[in-house]
Amino acid sequence: MSRTLFVILLLAQLAGIAGAQGIVQRRTDFSCENCRPGEALVRLSRETGINIVFSDRLFEGCSAASWNFRQVPAVEVLDRITACARVSYRVVGNQVVFFSFVERHSISGYVEDAETGERLIGAGLLLLNGSAHRAITNEFGFFSLREEEGEYRIQASYVGYKPLVKDVSLREDRKLQIRLEPDTRLREVVISAGQSGDARERRSGSPRYLNLKEMRRLPMPGGEADLLRQTALLPGVQTGADGIGGLHIRGGNADQNLFLLDDVPVYSPSHALGLFSIYNPSTVSSVKLWKGDFPARYGGRASSVLDVRTREGNMHEYKGELNTGLFASSAVVEGPLVEGKSSFLLGGRMTYFEPWVNYFSKRGNLLTFSGDDVRYRFYDGNIRLNYTLSDRDRVYFSYYRGGDVFKNDFEQSYNDPKGFITDKSRLATDWGNSIAALRWNHLLRDNLFTNTTVRYSRFTYQSRLGFRSDIVYPNGKTYELANYGQLYRTLIRDWSWKTDFTWYVSAPLTVRWGASWTSHNFQPGVITANFLQPGQTGSNVDSLASILLNNEKLGARETDGYVEGEWEFARHFRLEAGLNTSYFQVRDADYTVFQPRLRINRKGGGGWSQWAGYHRTAQFLHQIGTFNISLPFELWVPSTAKAPPEQVDQYSFGTGKQAAGWNWQAEFYYKSFNRVLTFISSGDALYTGGAVDASGWEDRIASGTGTSRGIEITAEKLTGKTRGGVVYTLSRSDRLFPDLNSGRPFPYRFDRLHDLKITLRQELTDWLEADVIWGFATGNPITLTGVKFSHESVEGEVQREVFFYTEVNGYRLPVYHRLDLAFNARWGHGNVKHALQLGTYNTYNRANPFYLYIDAGSSVKGKAIQFTLLPLLPVFRYEIKF
Amino acid sequence: MKRHSCLFVLATLLACGCAREVVIDLPEEEPKVVAICHFTEGEHFKVNISLSQEVNDGSDPEFPGEVDVTLSVNGQFYDALYREMGVGNTYYWKSHKAKIPREGIRYNLDVRVPGYPVAEAGSSIPRHYGIRPFQILTSDLQVSEIGNGMNELRIPIELKLDELPDHGRYFAFFLNHDMQVYESLSPPVTDYTKEQVPTNFLSDGRTISLLHNIPEPVVLVNENYWDDNRKSLFLTARIPYDPDTERPKKLYISWRTLSEEFYRYHLSLSRQGGNLPLSDPDAVFNNVEGGLGNFSGYSIAIDTIAIPGF
Repeated sequence: MSRTLFVILLLAQLAGIAGAQGIVQRRTDFSCENCRPGEALVRLSRETGINIVFSDRLFEGCSAASWNFRQVPAVEVLDRITACARVSYRVVGNQVVFFSFVERHSISGYVEDAETGERLIGAGLLLLNGSAHRAITNEFGFFSLREEEGEYRIQASYVGYKPLVKDVSLREDRKLQIRLEPDTRLREVVISAGQSGDARERRSGSPRYLNLKEMRRLPMPGGEADLLRQTALLPGVQTGADGIGGLHIRGGNADQNLFLLDDVPVYSPSHALGLFSIYNPSTVSSVKLWKGDFPARYGGRASSVLDVRTREGNMHEYKGELNTGLFASSAVVEGPLVEGKSSFLLGGRMTYFEPWVNYFSKRGNLLTFSGDDVRYRFYDGNIRLNYTLSDRDRVYFSYYRGGDVFKNDFEQSYNDPKGFITDKSRLATDWGNSIAALRWNHLLRDNLFTNTTVRYSRFTYQSRLGFRSDIVYPNGKTYELANYGQLYRTLIRDWSWKTDFTWYVSAPLTVRWGASWTSHNFQPGVITANFLQPGQTGSNVDSLASILLNNEKLGARETDGYVEGEWEFARHFRLEAGLNTSYFQVRDADYTVFQPRLRINRKGGGGWSQWAGYHRTAQFLHQIGTFNISLPFELWVPSTAKAPPEQVDQYSFGTGKQAAGWNWQAEFYYKSFNRVLTFISSGDALYTGGAVDASGWEDRIASGTGTSRGIEITAEKLTGKTRGGVVYTLSRSDRLFPDLNSGRPFPYRFDRLHDLKITLRQELTDWLEADVIWGFATGNPITLTGVKFSHESVEGEVQREVFFYTEVNGYRLPVYHRLDLAFNARWGHGNVKHALQLGTYNTYNRANPFYLYIDAGSSVKGKAIQFTLLPLLPVFRYEIKF
Repeated sequence: MKRHSCLFVLATLLACGCAREVVIDLPEEEPKVVAICHFTEGEHFKVNISLSQEVNDGSDPEFPGEVDVTLSVNGQFYDALYREMGVGNTYYWKSHKAKIPREGIRYNLDVRVPGYPVAEAGSSIPRHYGIRPFQILTSDLQVSEIGNGMNELRIPIELKLDELPDHGRYFAFFLNHDMQVYESLSPPVTDYTKEQVPTNFLSDGRTISLLHNIPEPVVLVNENYWDDNRKSLFLTARIPYDPDTERPKKLYISWRTLSEEFYRYHLSLSRQGGNLPLSDPDAVFNNVEGGLGNFSGYSIAIDTIAIPGF
């Protein structure tokens, strides 16, 4: 019945349309002398009976004319009469309705630094009239808006640049090259809707753009500006003590963060085991952080994305920059290769750590043996080239190489009842990343942007250990007690290809899609060990016959595809929805994981906004190690049949208000971790020069679950001479492994109930300001024993003292707090600009515990050995740009 | 060597750091009754009783003398253990002659020390899953010189289970050998025999990583070893000997099937990390309610295999 009714209604509708169309096809005679179009249409309506609806305003620009038609279809008469105006008509029922015919055109282009020609990522564009639509430049400084014909005022803005207002007459597709002038004064940050990516995202909670100029003013150890330390000032971001232990975003593991450098994954983002990041601040152009709620175009990690892009180099003139601090110096040179078309940027950083390492190692109790020679340094090198092929094509090349080198020669001699013994050891370790990317931007249409990247990423850790012990007997004879060498190496190497499309369908709708393919190669820990022949040393151990404990090489293939859309609707809402699909194939297993991502934002009145999201994320790579704190010698391994992919579901919602120079925000999140992995070890790796014997690693991991929930509160004052913020996170994070803690849940190693960060910036004069950071956090949980007993067999052949650990991570370290201070001065004449930073890190010399363990050999209850990393340190940095 | 390597790693980690002594506020830990007993078929229950100590207590552990130790089966009284003198000036508690454990029966232990809560635990001897008998052939043997006038005999052996259980794959083994010492090898004149000498072994990296040396002394086989349903454990026994005066004669293979209580307790002990900085120790498995320790059964079979002349 209902189907019959539907067919009848459909037929009736079609008949109506056919009848209406018939009206304008009817042949007619019509003439009108010296008539305006409106007048002619009225007369045509009367004479033919066609009901014509129009407004006189549509024909305001038309002058009077004469028409004379004989047996001409009415449609042709209508077209001829109205040809003078930009109008169109539609047959609606039995009426012909005229309306203004408005074409849409695109306004697209790039936002650049006016001085250097460098394209600006995350710059905001706002139409000050008309639709008030907004756009943000993408990772290559490109934007596109699609608007009706008309006159527009468009405002471009970016933090640290003078806003620019441009008038655009839109009659056809327009390409704009917007050049923003840097604002060299210490200006307050004025936030307005659409001002920049930072401002816009500040209202929606995610992502967070890091302000790189602010980063250089923050007091950091030795004056070494560090973007990971700046990241750690954000809510929901935690680190181990003084940076060691990696970043932990909303209770996630350190290996669940996707660190990108020019869109290439970085496997070890830190130097000095976490004290400094590998990102040379002088080479970075933008940093974005997503805390688990990242869009579908990102994949491969489960907890966060830190997207770092390097600078392109000055297109117009040669420039240089030198930075020198207490621990490191860096230099950057840049300039045009072909004026206005091509540029280069070279950056390098080198440390001079040795005096510090020696000083602190002698201060500590660990390295007080005579003959110690501790050497440590790290280095970075960046190369960036780009070439503009045409106004639609540009190619980029990025290369990074960085690493750490640690050497320790050790010699001690002592008297033994049997003779005089001399021990000599030599440890040499080095580790680092090599990263390269070749990218091609192409504008298929003015609103269809595509980027193709070929990527390479490699991380290796290698250590060589040689040990020799000789004894001189009382009779003068010498005998070799031990001669041992060991080589350890772990490696991960990726080759990948990636293509992304961005289609700016209209101002409220942007669609992105893309695909990538990655070849992963793993060598998860090779230990070669052997007893050396007389005369050989640890340095040539790898050339000798050896005992190979593990020489596993693994290959894996990962294919990703995604589609996502960003749609602004009903004036106040923005919907971001997408799906990431990953297929991972490894030796004995393959996995397909669908990861839906959804986020909705509402922008209310009075500066209020609300947002909510659900994001599923997964990862096929895992870092495992004895300590499970993301140290460089821990191993990257793929998902296999026994090590399934990790998966995280995150639910979040928040609200914020931005008004009168203040930004208030509160966000709640809940995360569930599935199949999270940890490596079970007995701690023997401590005896192998940092090496992890990865033999049988698949059988030595435990798979568990976890939860993390918390609320993050932010209050920031963004304007005025006194600025700053208070960031507080209240959170809980736990893990549950059937194989650990007797199957009971336990706190995550970096679980902190309270985490408070306060930053304050006081502008003292035009050229001088003071910066203060104070942080406070609940102590990290660790596993401690308070009880021991004797495990003794009846026959007495077994006797062992058992330290009874009741709960994993059952004890809390003392609270962490620290005050950092710095004064920043800037001055300059002409093209030469100077900056000087002086201050103190850990100003009141708080001995924050990095780790402690009970001194079982002491009779004092609760006596423990506590390790502290960074004491009071001076902050000094001098910068010159020319 | 090990200590030095450890220091090097710590140097790497804490190059900029300082270590100092602090006194932290550890929670008060009242002493608890500690009961340790591993039992198997055909042998008496022997229970070691002591009291736990605070970790900084440097004194010798206390072995209480006035203790009431009883066993029950299905809630019914089974035996009251009596005190025996152990090694040194310690005691242990032993079951009576007719009260020796049998496979498949769950025994419950009650330990009452005046002034302390009752410590209770239960366990049983699991069904034994044995290994297939095998012979050592002369052609399997390898001899190599290891310096200082010593040779090493290497014997490849396969410990193959007759049957692999679906669950509870808890096993342990131990190798030892008898060494015949000669006054003269030609003609052979036997001097004496070194009996039950512990035997070292080699294996592949995966196998080694899944074997845990525990204080019992046996070598615990991680249950993950059997994940791919393999039934065999391949080892190469290493027996050093003086080629002028010694010859290995017998190899003993002790093969244990463990109760879960035995396995979990010893596995957790092997994960303690030696109280080392940065180690990530696991909680110790404890199946003694009201106290600490371990009460667990196991079954054992010992194969004696002759080592042929070479």
